[in-house]
Amino acid sequence: MMSDQQIIELCARHDRKAQQVLYDRYSRLLLGVCLRYASDKAEAEDILQESFLKIFFNIQDFTGSGSFIGWLRKVAVNTAITHYHKNLKYRYHVEIEEFKSIETGVISFEEDFYTSDELFMVLNELPAGYRMVFNLYAVEGYKHKEIAELLGIDTNTSKSQYSRAKAVLRDKLEKLGKLKSSYSGDN
Amino acid sequence: VKTKKQNSNLRKLFSKKLENAEVMPGDALRSKLMRQVARKEFLRFNPARLNIYYIAGILITGITSAVLILSASGDSPHSKTSPEAIELLSDTNSYIEVPAGVPLKTKPQLSAVIKRESINSKFIPQLNIKPVNEIDKAKNAQKSNKSITSNISDSLSRNGISGDGSANKTRLQNRYNHDALLIDPNAIVGCSPLKLKFHNKSASFDSCRWTFGDGGYSNERDPEWIFDIEGEYKVVLEVFRQGGMSSSTATVTVHPRPQARFEIIPDNAVLPNDVIRFMNYSTNSVQFKWDFGDGSRSDYFEPTHTYSRFSNYDVRLVVFSDWGCTDSLTVFNAFSGSEYFIEFPNAFIPNVQGPTGGYYSSKSDEAAQVFHPSLTGVTDYHLKIFSKLGIPIFESNDINLGWDGYHKGQLCEPGVYIWKVRGKYRNGEPFTRMGDVTLLKN
Repeated sequence: MMSDQQIIELCARHDRKAQQVLYDRYSRLLLGVCLRYASDKAEAEDILQESFLKIFFNIQDFTGSGSFIGWLRKVAVNTAITHYHKNLKYRYHVEIEEFKSIETGVISFEEDFYTSDELFMVLNELPAGYRMVFNLYAVEGYKHKEIAELLGIDTNTSKSQYSRAKAVLRDKLEKLGKLKSSYSGDN
Repeated sequence: VKTKKQNSNLRKLFSKKLENAEVMPGDALRSKLMRQVARKEFLRFNPARLNIYYIAGILITGITSAVLILSASGDSPHSKTSPEAIELLSDTNSYIEVPAGVPLKTKPQLSAVIKRESINSKFIPQLNIKPVNEIDKAKNAQKSNKSITSNISDSLSRNGISGDGSANKTRLQNRYNHDALLIDPNAIVGCSPLKLKFHNKSASFDSCRWTFGDGGYSNERDPEWIFDIEGEYKVVLEVFRQGGMSSSTATVTVHPRPQARFEIIPDNAVLPNDVIRFMNYSTNSVQFKWDFGDGSRSDYFEPTHTYSRFSNYDVRLVVFSDWGCTDSLTVFNAFSGSEYFIEFPNAFIPNVQGPTGGYYSSKSDEAAQVFHPSLTGVTDYHLKIFSKLGIPIFESNDINLGWDGYHKGQLCEPGVYIWKVRGKYRNGEPFTRMGDVTLLKN
């Protein structure tokens, strides 16, 4: 069993075997990251592939300060952002005023109520711009100012997109929740 | 409070559940990725591994050595054929005559006759004739002009003879020295398009065939042929008779015809004062003779000229090439486009903000705020503008000063005004014009 340190050293020398080990060890985690930024699994795999190419050919840039996983994650997120910019013009942009928050019976979202697959699905359905902002802010923990710089948008745009993303997500989760409870109630 | 709680819940839900969520990638992705890694590695420079730089290096070395080997082996067959070629020289029995009067530079060679001794032979492939002619030319070169000499030494060295070229020549002369003069003129030099009349002087034959080296052929006895593209052509005459055939060759060198082309600047020159420049766009020319049409001439490449009086002139340029070929171009009435004129518009729109002063240039008055003429070659100018009642409201003796539509600081009423202009053109011819102009308001 190779340690991360060994893998890094070998990968820096373009060792084919070490690259395979690195892929086997982290591809699932990184695909999880990529999937949050993609609209489907195929796109996520594209981003993952690009990310690994970057990782393999730039691994000497990893300084050793900070965690390796953190560095890998950052590469994946940055690749996702680049990917988003590249495909921006091809995307059909949906303006979602219709998803205004509706007051419903569900008050809070229980963590165990939703599976991660369902959460992925809900995220994937979001418009790309909302999804980027929501992921970067809610999951990665970036500040709105940083997000604005990364995506090349205004800070206020980032903020408003985040709140809209939340509204859409809430709406979707509530609908899903109702569906689920009625489904389980029937059985 | 409720929404606040919901929001933080939402954020927590996603970050907790998805931050470290793992998703299994498809099986194909792994091999696809590794293929791409291999491709990128291949394109990356790495001294320790096979990559594109090595392949490129190997390819270049391979191609270079292949070229070297080919060119080395390509030389040897030629040097082998040349002795055979010398043998074949005696297999000819025909005459080529080029009549005098064709515009050639090498005139002394014009109407000479080629004669060769006849020895029947069953085969005279054209390929073998080729080197023969090179040798013909080698002989020819000794007597003919320099440009041909250089051509020959070129072709000799191409065929690998030049190594012991002098020895070959002596041998030739020893063997056929009684022929030498008669072979001499079969190099014909002229300017494109070159029209030649060939004569077949064989005493008796059944049929003959001329190939002109430019893809054309003829079965006539004395064909006429026009070479209209520059180049060196090998004219072959094959004579068929009972018992065999014989052939003879001649070289025709066609030099490109120069092309005389020029442009007169400026386009709308005003005579007599303007300095006229002649821009020379001639091709294949080394010598130039200009005739400006007023009796003066120049040999410069791009001369300038000032005419002393107004008239229409025919400008002529004759160009000469290195080989004495010529071409000429004459522009008749070269300055007809530059006749003097003065024209007035029939309406204008004054600036309502205030008087503009009336000074204008061709570029400044795009909005037509000033009433002014379009003119060339006017020296003396006097413009007067009247209202419909005949009251003079504007006057100008300055060509650059038009009417801005104001009279005593007040904008004139829209309507029709009468103008009259008197003046002189540069050639001294006086003019008087009058008409009306409508003042518009927007």
